[in-house]
Amino acid sequence: MKLLRTLGFAAAATAAMAAANTAQADDIVIGMMCDRTGVTAVTGTVLCPGYHDYIALVNANGGIEGCSVKANEVDIEYKVPPAVEAYQRFKSDGAVLVSPFGTPMVAALLKTMEEDKIPGTSAGFGTAAAANGEKYPYMFPIAASYWSQTAAAVQFAKDKFEGDLNGKKIAYVFYDNPAGREGIPVITELAKQEGFDFRTFAIPVPGIEAGPQVLDITRRFRADFVIAHVFGRAPAVLLKELKRSGYQMDNVIGFVWAGSEGDIAAAGGWDVAEGYNTIQFAGVGSNYPVLEEIRAMYKANGEDPPEEMASTVYYNRGVFQAAVHVKAIENAVKAKGSCDVTGTEVRDGMRQIQDFTLGGLVPPLKITEKDHEGGGYVRVFQVQDGKYVPVTDWYRSYRDTVLRLLEEEHKG
Amino acid sequence: MHPELEFGIALAAEGVLTGLMYSLIALGFVLIYKSTDAINFAQGHFVMIAAIVVAGALDWWGVPLFIAILIGLAFMIAFGIGLERFVLRPMIGRPIVAIIMATIGLSFFLLGFGPLVFGPAPTTINLPIPDSPIFWGPLYLKPIGLVGAGVSIAFLLGFGWFFIKSRAGVAMRAVADSHQVSMAMGINVERFFAVAWVTAGVVALLGGLLWGNMIGVDTQLALIGLKVFPVVILGGLDSIPGVVVGGIIVGVVEALTSGFVDPVVGGGMKDFAPYVLMILMLMIRPFGIFGRRQIERI
Amino acid sequence: MFHRECGFYKTSYEADQAILAFPIARHAVIGLTLLFLVVVPLFASDYYLSNLSLVGITVVGALGLNILLGYTGQISIGHAAFMSVGAYTAANFAVKLGLPFYITLPLGGCMAALIGILVGIPSLRVKGLYLAIATLAAQFIIEWVINHTPAISGGVAAAIEVERPVLFGWNLNSSLELYYFVIFFAVLAIVATTNLVRSRLGRALIAIRDQDIAAQIIGIGVFRYKLYAFAISSFFAGVTGVLYTYYLGIATYEQFTIITSIDFLAMCIIGGLGSITGSVLGAFFITLLPMVIRIVMESVGPYFMDPADLPTIIGQLRLMFFGGLIMLFLVMEPEGLNRLWLNIRNYFRVWPFSY
Repeated sequence: MKLLRTLGFAAAATAAMAAANTAQADDIVIGMMCDRTGVTAVTGTVLCPGYHDYIALVNANGGIEGCSVKANEVDIEYKVPPAVEAYQRFKSDGAVLVSPFGTPMVAALLKTMEEDKIPGTSAGFGTAAAANGEKYPYMFPIAASYWSQTAAAVQFAKDKFEGDLNGKKIAYVFYDNPAGREGIPVITELAKQEGFDFRTFAIPVPGIEAGPQVLDITRRFRADFVIAHVFGRAPAVLLKELKRSGYQMDNVIGFVWAGSEGDIAAAGGWDVAEGYNTIQFAGVGSNYPVLEEIRAMYKANGEDPPEEMASTVYYNRGVFQAAVHVKAIENAVKAKGSCDVTGTEVRDGMRQIQDFTLGGLVPPLKITEKDHEGGGYVRVFQVQDGKYVPVTDWYRSYRDTVLRLLEEEHKG
Repeated sequence: MHPELEFGIALAAEGVLTGLMYSLIALGFVLIYKSTDAINFAQGHFVMIAAIVVAGALDWWGVPLFIAILIGLAFMIAFGIGLERFVLRPMIGRPIVAIIMATIGLSFFLLGFGPLVFGPAPTTINLPIPDSPIFWGPLYLKPIGLVGAGVSIAFLLGFGWFFIKSRAGVAMRAVADSHQVSMAMGINVERFFAVAWVTAGVVALLGGLLWGNMIGVDTQLALIGLKVFPVVILGGLDSIPGVVVGGIIVGVVEALTSGFVDPVVGGGMKDFAPYVLMILMLMIRPFGIFGRRQIERI
Repeated sequence: MFHRECGFYKTSYEADQAILAFPIARHAVIGLTLLFLVVVPLFASDYYLSNLSLVGITVVGALGLNILLGYTGQISIGHAAFMSVGAYTAANFAVKLGLPFYITLPLGGCMAALIGILVGIPSLRVKGLYLAIATLAAQFIIEWVINHTPAISGGVAAAIEVERPVLFGWNLNSSLELYYFVIFFAVLAIVATTNLVRSRLGRALIAIRDQDIAAQIIGIGVFRYKLYAFAISSFFAGVTGVLYTYYLGIATYEQFTIITSIDFLAMCIIGGLGSITGSVLGAFFITLLPMVIRIVMESVGPYFMDPADLPTIIGQLRLMFFGGLIMLFLVMEPEGLNRLWLNIRNYFRVWPFSY
């Protein structure tokens, strides 16, 4: 009896406090899924604070055309059922935009979001096919898909070898799951076009060992260039192994989830990774105007900037995502003239995004009805002297090949 | 020498070294099974939490490596004693399902506890071991692998001697055989349980140092625990020499599969091959190459 | 006073053996039916309906695992792999042959049962721990096979989109319709399991769990019945996978990992091994626990700590709670939530005359 009574009080108290924490009526609600404790927790615990910080900045500066924004976050542990539950919750909160986190989540929610007419973004993950705005009108990659990244990596290799890849050997190392395998069709196609010899090396889940594969790459296959599409623990492991084999790090390029400060730290520090190239879809580093504004906002509140800001690769991506979301909503609000926008209107707002670079943090995206990827722009940053230095500007390459493959995928 | 053969030998050497490092982790598992008949599904998580504690001490308090290791040691000892006292002692005599589930529950607890206290960001443990490989004919050896293998063998020999020759070791084997008879003989069963779990924790600490250096320290480190099962099934659940042999077999099979089978199949067989071996072993000889116990067959 | 067992005379064997023997049981079933089929859909929002649908799907899986774990005493850590087998079978048949859901669902279940028999044949000959490890291996092997066989997995993405179920020309795609769809199968599973455990097969399984050597002596072919249990459990798992596929509209193997298998094990253990009520309670508990923790922490948390840190801490606390609760239940209440429920029920059985 006593136990029941205590539980009853606890429930009542919780309900009271829950009631005190509800959203205001004229907020625009965004649903943000985050992985804080699952296999990609290293990303989520830095990216999501970045997202929230940008939203806070926007609200501090008067919101979107006067409408305040609320980003509700749910930790989905990188699992599908919590993601589905989170999506339902966002829907009941009245979200006009939902941001899934992780490729399987995107796959699971693709249909539902289309039926419910709520747009979503999958920056830097999800299927490359989602770039096709006609097939998937409510999903926006908003950043270079893995296909575009593969194309950009090959271009980088080509530039490194003075424009001629004939007879060169490229190793495509990938994390053995559907997302990791995405790059294979593109590199197969480009190998035919450019005449290089490539081999794939799978790093099996959970990606904590790469010894034999690296041995193969460096001693048997003797690759001239390594393209690494790995994530989770695998980038750090791969980097360490490559370093231990004495491989030239500046002949290695990693995709967007293979090159954060955390990965460098786990690999043993900046000197281990010296020369390593990474593809990024958002600017890296601390000197962007928007980051200054965020720091100033914290100072104005009498607090220090959060330590997550130091991990700029993922933090800036959080800011990037938030910025694109806010811009889409801004377009929708301006078009409608009121804060009460619907998912479809935000989708249209998303499709109007162009020439929006946020001081260089965001690439020159151009999202259209057909192209939800925004052009497939990336930038390569290299580890030099203990920090990331940009070695290219925003570029994309082999766009025609990528578009052709998208068309074939659409038909097939 | 034919380049493929050279490559194969290099690969096999790599496999032996990695396999011995698996043995180090599996050693903790076997210690617990040999002494308390309990199956520890959380062995990988012990390695993880030990590594997190050491890395945390290094990063936060900036203490030298030696002190950090001592802190880790103290933590694992306290952890082992606490675990035995509060979780495992009430579970004596319960069916095996219950103990397995208790260790699974423990693994979740540790997964949350580590990042809660030390933060989720991945980090590393820098050991004073050089990174550049040693070339020896066709072989191509990583210093960390050599250190790991050396430590494994040292511990395996040490524990082998311990269980056969020393009084305490014989007592622990008696406890594993039958709790009641041991108690009747005057052996303090509960104390030896605690000793077993603490020892497993210390071995996990070593594993955590070496693997943490090799692949970085965060919650993913716990996944190394999954390698334990093929090793102990192949070698025998309660056999120390079996752990060595099982580890070497798993390591070599993985390496050779990765080098010669994966390119044909398109990748990914590397982690999967030891499990296939394991199933075959279960069908032919479930107690492993060196296992002692007879398995009841239906 | 609510519940009287005296004064009800049973005058036929059927009445004696009925599942719902007393009026209180009949009232309770009618009440629950009304609650879940009428009251909840009327008043609950889409969000709660979708949560209940997820719970309903996991009930089927938990029942299957409990048949194997609770009634037969065999440990399986590969439950999620059989779900993915069922899911992909159904998805492939639905997409490639255009079969409707009432054919693909049994097909998915049967395929999973078949694979279950294949896995069971080598592993059921050895006792105890070895089956657990063998099913762990099966989990990884099945995952690998699906991942690497485009014929099964539907291409590089290893995900197959399926159309929502169509019943007599009616497309089931709102939360409410899917809720009824799932509840139908959940109820079917509960009724099937209840009948199964009261049948000859069920008694044989319980005998095997309790004393397998004695069971063999009195003529129950232990290996054969274990295989039946494994096949039935895998069938339930396959059906669960198919239900997930139809509910989400897509089949992905990344959803059915080892962590999912462990979730289901936790459901059975926390709910109560060897009881149907236990499986249902366990399914509710494990599926809704993350949500409850989040709600509690979001309400209470801002009073104690910085809201920015909150999401990370919620996640870590959730893991700690999950593991801690498993250990707590095992140490303190080995028979799980079912025992707690029975305690409450037994108290009211004789209330107010409990002396």
